[in-house]
Amino acid sequence: MNAITATELTKRYGSKAAVAGATFGIEQGEIVGFLGPNGAGKTTTLRMLAGLVRPTSGTCRVLGDGVPGPSLREVGTMIEEPSFYPYMTGRSNLRHAARLHGDVPDSRVEEVLEFVRLQDAAEKRVRAYSQGMRQRLALARALLWRPKVLLLDEPTNGLDPAGIAEVRESLRRVAHDGATVLVSSHILAEIEKLVDRILAIEAGRIVFDGPLKDLVARAAEQAVTYTISARDQAALLTALEDLGYVPNARGGGEVEVSVPADDAEFLIERLTTKGVRVLSASKEEDDLEDAYLRLIDPSRRPS
Amino acid sequence: MSAVLDVVRAEVFKTLRKRRVYVLAALYWVLLPALALLVGRLIYVNTRGTFVEEGVPLADLMQALFSPHGLATIALTGPAYASPTPYIIGVALLAALFIGEERGQNMWKTVLVVQPNRSAVLTGKLIVTMGTLLVLMVGAFLSAILFGTIGTSFLPTNLSGDWGGLLGLYLWQWAHLLAPTLLAFLLVFLVRSAVLGIVLVLIAPGLLEGIYSVLNTLFSLQPITRFNAVFQALRLQRVWDELPRYFFTTNLYAPGRSPATSLVNEFISEIDQADMGPFSQLLGSGLTLGHSSLVMAGYTVLFGLLLFWVFRRRDVD
Repeated sequence: MNAITATELTKRYGSKAAVAGATFGIEQGEIVGFLGPNGAGKTTTLRMLAGLVRPTSGTCRVLGDGVPGPSLREVGTMIEEPSFYPYMTGRSNLRHAARLHGDVPDSRVEEVLEFVRLQDAAEKRVRAYSQGMRQRLALARALLWRPKVLLLDEPTNGLDPAGIAEVRESLRRVAHDGATVLVSSHILAEIEKLVDRILAIEAGRIVFDGPLKDLVARAAEQAVTYTISARDQAALLTALEDLGYVPNARGGGEVEVSVPADDAEFLIERLTTKGVRVLSASKEEDDLEDAYLRLIDPSRRPS
Repeated sequence: MSAVLDVVRAEVFKTLRKRRVYVLAALYWVLLPALALLVGRLIYVNTRGTFVEEGVPLADLMQALFSPHGLATIALTGPAYASPTPYIIGVALLAALFIGEERGQNMWKTVLVVQPNRSAVLTGKLIVTMGTLLVLMVGAFLSAILFGTIGTSFLPTNLSGDWGGLLGLYLWQWAHLLAPTLLAFLLVFLVRSAVLGIVLVLIAPGLLEGIYSVLNTLFSLQPITRFNAVFQALRLQRVWDELPRYFFTTNLYAPGRSPATSLVNEFISEIDQADMGPFSQLLGSGLTLGHSSLVMAGYTVLFGLLLFWVFRRRDVD
């Protein structure tokens, strides 16, 4: 059964569609990465799933119930900048949330404080917290009532590498316990290490929904990236531009260029025809970042 | 119901950690009776044995105003006469605390995810706001008794008075504060700014009444002109004249202002209230408490329906 289902989800602000007909489903226990450039509609989608924003049309369901509905009590969120009552301590903020939600004993507050390693700072007022501490406290609050669904918007913002690794490990543990996690992040290397599946959104539309390896494979099918070195780098750059590609000059006389997969086998031959003496050419493996950038930015797609 | 209780527990937890509430309580519980007692002492020392005492029975005046019962009356009536009244200031500040703060701290998205039952969130916040107002008013009542009792040691006053009636008026006035609380919640939530919300709460209730007063002074639908004739023909003159009976502020403070009417009657009974012009309205003449409560119930329903409708439907940024 899907833990999260969105059907033709649309949100318009005036004539502008922030989200336009997004349809996807996420199964119980899945960790899904939600990718998209700023303003693509990620946060609006998460807000609609959390019941904070009413869709203009379409529906979303969480744990089988329509949103807003009773199942929202089983959802934990971190959406955009974490916010707290700054005059309260970290512990008091969590206790306030525990009371507001109900059915959360104070012992659970101590558990989540320990989970995010904030026990020592728990009696500090939140206004004195660093960005990273606020981020960890927000994660603690999202986990307070052992949610079955976690909606996380940039949860590793402001964290140092150790903190990022801790959050990643925490989310794995949460997912291992059966929770469904939908997480957006700009740090693609983190997403790559964490998720099984990618949802990519651009200009309000879902442009990719599938396993991570499929996205990378799809990118590889579309284009191949070569690192080429030649006796004359300037001549190489000119020839590549003449062929309609967008080369990037690197140190040591090397040039990086993405070419359509269909052109790949003829590239060296064409360069030779143009009088370029190629010394070496190596094919680069695409990672998620390359695949993602190619997906959302048409200018990065080889012509 | 349990969701409402959860919200109430959370809001009480938050309120007890908010300095603003204690400042408000200190001003209301200590400053007001202490100042009143000081004024009482000054009047007593400066007028005792002078010609003033021949016209006004000073001991009666002291008992009426500065005894424990008198101070408790002032704590109820005084705030209803300032402009803007401490009642509406208190309501605005509490609305800013319970509704505006969530906006200011960007907490709505957190609160409404932790407790997605929006009606429960709003009801819980209203209960805690009204509870806080009740604590403030009962505290003012008890504090006035304390200060008044201290005053008996240096003023010719004692503990006598109609305590039951006065306490009833306190509760009545408290019940009337539900309508402005709903209005304040609505305005603070609608304008998405606690500061602007507070300003609106202070201005809005009297705005229509002010416009009416200006129009009434300038035109009063008299004499009969082409324009006014339409109103006369539609028999709207009577409606126009009757409007002030349904004004928000006139009825809102009716329980708090009613002891002032008794005091005026006691000391300047020879003045016909009809001759008092605009003051007669301030003293609540012509308005029964029952009428005022019905009018306030109407405002409560109106503001309540609007507030719940807006709160349940509005997107949270």
